[in-house]
Amino acid sequence: MDNKLPITRLSKFISQDDFDINIQMGQEYLHGDINFKLVLYRVDREKTGIDDVYAEVGLDEIKYFPPIEFNALVKIEEPKNSSYKGGLLRYNEPGNMTLSVYIKHLSELGVDIRYGDYIGYPESETRTRFYTVTNDGKVTSDNKHNMWGYKPHYRTITCAPVQDKTFRGV
Amino acid sequence: MPLPKRKTNISVYKGTELTKRRQELLDKITKSDSFLPDSVLHDDLDKGMLDYVNETFVVESEGQKIPVVNKILTIQRWGEFANNWEFSDKDGNMDLPFVAIIRKPEVQLGTNPSVQRTIPDRHQIYYASVPTWNGTSMGADIYTIPQPIPVDISYDVTIVCNKFRDINKFNRKVLQNFASRQDYTTIKGHYIPIVLDKVEDNTPMDSLDGRRFYMQTYSFTMLGYLIDNDEFEVKPAISRLFTMFEFLVDNKYKPKKTFNKDAVVQKASAVADGIQRVFSVGESIGVLFEVLVNGEVQTKNVNYLHVAYTSKIEFIQTPGQPIFPAEGDNVTIIYYKGKSNKIAGDNGKVLQFIREEFNYSGNEPTDADGNPVYIMRQEFTEIITVEINGLAEQEGIGYEIYSMPINNGFLSTVKLLGTPMLNSKVSVGYLY
Repeated sequence: MDNKLPITRLSKFISQDDFDINIQMGQEYLHGDINFKLVLYRVDREKTGIDDVYAEVGLDEIKYFPPIEFNALVKIEEPKNSSYKGGLLRYNEPGNMTLSVYIKHLSELGVDIRYGDYIGYPESETRTRFYTVTNDGKVTSDNKHNMWGYKPHYRTITCAPVQDKTFRGV
Repeated sequence: MPLPKRKTNISVYKGTELTKRRQELLDKITKSDSFLPDSVLHDDLDKGMLDYVNETFVVESEGQKIPVVNKILTIQRWGEFANNWEFSDKDGNMDLPFVAIIRKPEVQLGTNPSVQRTIPDRHQIYYASVPTWNGTSMGADIYTIPQPIPVDISYDVTIVCNKFRDINKFNRKVLQNFASRQDYTTIKGHYIPIVLDKVEDNTPMDSLDGRRFYMQTYSFTMLGYLIDNDEFEVKPAISRLFTMFEFLVDNKYKPKKTFNKDAVVQKASAVADGIQRVFSVGESIGVLFEVLVNGEVQTKNVNYLHVAYTSKIEFIQTPGQPIFPAEGDNVTIIYYKGKSNKIAGDNGKVLQFIREEFNYSGNEPTDADGNPVYIMRQEFTEIITVEINGLAEQEGIGYEIYSMPINNGFLSTVKLLGTPMLNSKVSVGYLY
């Protein structure tokens, strides 16, 4: 068992209770007021059959744990209008998606978001767009992710869009 | 001082040593259930490189083997993580040290001299003959394959570590294996050479503020080749067939004619099958000159029957005796075709057939070699047969004909090419 070291810094200004109530208020806004919902597809890296050389799988062969709905603050960049090489074949796809999710929320759900997992974002009633995690934001040592330097309270997760041929939640 | 003697007949491979080795190599690549080699494609070559690095570059650091990421990492992010998580820390980063293999995605046409483009157009080359049996006939399949396509695949093998000693150990291991420039990996029985191109250091030494680690990249080129079993061809070779023919007695069998139809004299030959008694020439026989069996003259109404102006010759069988002519006997019928006994020559002249008989007495006129010469009573137009004791002779072998000019015409002679027995019967049949 890991040793637990009590955090006593800033104790004259903030305590664990203050920390918790701030998160609670934030969650009330995020979960209750704006209520952005996403679906996390955690890849089962043991059950997914991969080939011996490239660790690749075919269409719809990615095995994942039961999808879990979670809340996060969503920011999606502008779509890119680009071409593959020197004007060769245009493509237009959504920009990267950046999520801010409370660490406590993930802990309550009992899940972790890892590099390579897939996230579904229901763009409309009929269209869910899938993204893959390119930065799982596990390293939260910076000041931004710490509440006034007391303790980390959220993760910033960066995702890139994937085409249906790669993953479509099936 | 004389020069030392040089040995000029050095035997590099003694006896069948090379043959055995070649067979051993062939057995190795065809050890699967078919007679053909397995495909060797990009995946196999990559796997061969992974296996080679895993098995050859075994280096220990702090008592533990430096782990090798045992996959060619691709753009699939979770796949990368899935192969690293065993060696990852709490942040999901790889623990140092580790070795990773990166394949450059582009694969160039190869420089392996043994399989360079020497045979154009994907020409199929003979590989093996495989016997077949379909329950009825025995045959063989011919297996052909095109020349393998040479490919050069570049790999970067990178070691990332925290200790200089680990770099040294890894470098020693690599250089030991590539002291002779190249090393080999075995892919499905094929020896594939790998060449060390360069060693490059990518250590971020200038990064004063960042994390410090060592990183060295070894660039290798695999001189491989592609063998695709989709390009193999299997074709049936010539099969042995047991063919039987059945002939009915008195059938309409027509002997093949081996002479000019336009000539006055027709000659039909057939090989008897031991069953057939009636032979047909397929056309009306106006004048029947001779019937020969194996060159022996047959006598009408004794050996055979023939109705005038019909096409058939029927051999007379003696009860209790084997069928005549016997199987394999050569039957020859010499005749003038038509429904008349008037023989017309090329110029419309009516020709007569005559047979002159001589008894060889030894007193005949001879040529310089002593061969007897017979003078015909008529100036002949065409010789039908020359027989000695009933056996037909061939022109140029048994006899020659001469036509000598005299006062009011020509004198036709037949010269035998050899001396027959005394009292031999010499018969010359001809048209005049």
